[in-house]
Amino acid sequence: MAFLMYGDPKVKYLCSCGSMKPISRIYFCRHCMKIKCGFCVSHEVDLHYCSNCLENLPSTEARLKKNRCGYCFDCPSCQISLNTRAVSQAVPNPDDPSKMLSKKSYYLVCAFCRWTSREASIPDQNVANGGWPEIDCPNSKRVAELVDHYQEISLQEKDEEERKKKYQVRPSYFHYAEKYGLSAALAKKRMGGTPQRETRTQQSALVPAVASEEVEELSDSVFIEQLELNKVTTIKQRLASPEIQPTVVSQLYPLHKSLLVKRSLRCRDCEHNVSKPEFNPSSTKFKIQLSAFYHVPDVKFLTCEPVFIGKRSELIITVCNPTQHQSSFKMHPFELNLGAKGSGDAEESAPGLKLCLPECARDAQFKINGTIKLPTTEFQLLPRDDTAEFDDSNKGPTFNDDPKVVVWRRGNKIALRMAVSPDADAEGVLSIGFVIEYSYVNTMTTLEKKEPQKVKLKTHILLRPGPIFKSSQ
Amino acid sequence: MENSIKIHQGAVVCTECDLKGDITIGKNTVVHPKAQIIAEAGPIIIGENNLIEEQAAIVNKFPASQESTGNATVMIIGNNNVFEVDCHSEALKIGDQNVLESKCLVGRKVELTNGCIVGAHCRLVSEECLPENTVIYGDNCSRRQQADRPPPQTLQIDFLTKVLPNYHHLYKPNLKD
Amino acid sequence: MELENVYYNKGDFVETASGNKVCRHTVLCGSQNIILHGKAIVQQDAIIRGDLANVRSGRYCIISRGVVLRPPFKKFSKGVAFFPLQIGDHVFFGEGSVVNAAVIGNYVYIGKNCIIGRRCVLKDCCYIADNTVLAPETTVPAFAHVAGSPGAAVAELPECTPDLMTEFTKSFYQHFVPHALC
Repeated sequence: MAFLMYGDPKVKYLCSCGSMKPISRIYFCRHCMKIKCGFCVSHEVDLHYCSNCLENLPSTEARLKKNRCGYCFDCPSCQISLNTRAVSQAVPNPDDPSKMLSKKSYYLVCAFCRWTSREASIPDQNVANGGWPEIDCPNSKRVAELVDHYQEISLQEKDEEERKKKYQVRPSYFHYAEKYGLSAALAKKRMGGTPQRETRTQQSALVPAVASEEVEELSDSVFIEQLELNKVTTIKQRLASPEIQPTVVSQLYPLHKSLLVKRSLRCRDCEHNVSKPEFNPSSTKFKIQLSAFYHVPDVKFLTCEPVFIGKRSELIITVCNPTQHQSSFKMHPFELNLGAKGSGDAEESAPGLKLCLPECARDAQFKINGTIKLPTTEFQLLPRDDTAEFDDSNKGPTFNDDPKVVVWRRGNKIALRMAVSPDADAEGVLSIGFVIEYSYVNTMTTLEKKEPQKVKLKTHILLRPGPIFKSSQ
Repeated sequence: MENSIKIHQGAVVCTECDLKGDITIGKNTVVHPKAQIIAEAGPIIIGENNLIEEQAAIVNKFPASQESTGNATVMIIGNNNVFEVDCHSEALKIGDQNVLESKCLVGRKVELTNGCIVGAHCRLVSEECLPENTVIYGDNCSRRQQADRPPPQTLQIDFLTKVLPNYHHLYKPNLKD
Repeated sequence: MELENVYYNKGDFVETASGNKVCRHTVLCGSQNIILHGKAIVQQDAIIRGDLANVRSGRYCIISRGVVLRPPFKKFSKGVAFFPLQIGDHVFFGEGSVVNAAVIGNYVYIGKNCIIGRRCVLKDCCYIADNTVLAPETTVPAFAHVAGSPGAAVAELPECTPDLMTEFTKSFYQHFVPHALC
């Protein structure tokens, strides 16, 4: 499982934008019948949620709170969530001084580094949620002035642009208006418009910042007093709260937790959604989920003999059919034209779509340094059947498989044996590829075609079985 | 190596743990099954109210250079300490109210005073004496001082003293107060 | 990578009616409180503390060598109690991990030598990398990839993670077969 997350996965698929990705990271757009990856879909934020309390926040509220959770805090010392702990104190009852009431007061504590809110001199609160005093940023007033000022300037610029647009259109209307005597009405409209523009041009008087060369003198205490490393904050702790940037550990203040985001993905060509999650942050279901894992045949390694230069090694791969329909596939040699600018699929991608990787990186990814002898026959694969594990009887259509090529066949999977040999000058990791042409049944009904249509799709696959060893002789 | 295990009244020591050598276990100490207390290079004296969880290892062994030639050294562990799952302690002197979290390693030359917390996955192998109330945490074994000591786990020890005898065979205490 | 068969000695493992394969060299304290729903694998040297509280796990759970599953305790005003440990379906525990969590969702992968702190809550479809230390009482949201010490979310898992984990655990269970000779 780790190989799907970490490091260099051994099997990569070519996306329509030119990057090679493992099957778990690509999507299949059913409208354009193409493979899309995270780089060539557009990401839209669906909802914000806090990773600690898993509370949903609508986008406007999130923006107001600066993308931070209102209730959860991060430890300023190790940047993980803070927990609230209760402590009961015996306090004299205000009505009857002789009796003692137990009052609960709450404080924040980090379970990892044991930092507590008492170290920042924050008094214990009476309420479990919230009530924690907010710290005042020393520069907040100046920042607010600057933000207001620049917002006005941006409104002004928007106005100017609108005016320019209207100005271009207006001459023709004016001409007609004169002809039909509507100019008086138009003049009134313009009169009505000007006062607004005048008020907007009144800017707030912003005192510009003055640069000065004078710097405070370094006090002698820096040289005389012994530095206690325990009391000085690290740079990471200091920059975690850029408003106050505490230099001493006692100034560390808990930070509001950043919100996480759930995204929906949209294909850039046809504007249809490729992945849309549910609103509940803890849910793992999706309203729309078009991962390639469910539509494109999954190629995996079974075994590969060590690869030596000048020798042929045996490679066994499995191909799995994830769909609910019987499908067939055939393998062709890798036919990517590396000479053309932007990989061979450039003419298929939409104009204006920028291919994401620089050319040198793309060429390095596609560097094939071996040959693979592909089987020429077309293979049939049974549809995916989840009940097969409970069904003990092995009833199913039998296929005439060449035992030299097909190692085994189980349900919707087939294991194929192939011979690979590296090029004479190859070194490093062996990279080989092939094109898989598979039949896909498009179950989406459109206005034109009511029945599911069967199409043949091609995908380039890159395999990296392992390192190349020099000949053992 | 002869086994000489002295268990005070009130201590709960499961038989499934690995005890070797001259070991003294104080009152109300709980030793979970699969814990390891190995006294090769001298006796180990464990105080009261300690909590030693499974896979924890308290080992008094000679450092590799002086194998079986050094003098026997006594390892003294104080009261109210917690040795969490899979921690490994070779420190000769441990004070009171310390917590050694999961998978930590404390070397022979370290001396833990009182209230120290050695975080999970941390390794302390240099020769030093940790000041009181030190917390060691994180990937790089960062340190800081905490304001007060970790609270003693008496409630948990009481609960375990009641529950563990129902499921495990225990060593009989052989020392009376 | 398609998994290959992993062989074990038939004498070392006990296979129950519901398909659980439990090694004899494990320490299962309080086994009447441990419920493994079916098709689970418990490998050598694992420790499950059912004596402290109930431990309930779902189907296709894979507990590797040396894993310690320990219910967490909670301090109340009137004392201490150990909370039951609930584990979902299709969960993989890597070797040597120490788990003190309160709730583990479905389709969770926990790497090697991890330490899951007390009363942590792991939601569905999360991935805990090797050697992570999760501080007590942290909540790991769905689709989070958590790494480091202290554990923090570093990446996001792909959308097809439930099916990837299902396939992985089922495949692991099917390939865990006894030696043909014994």
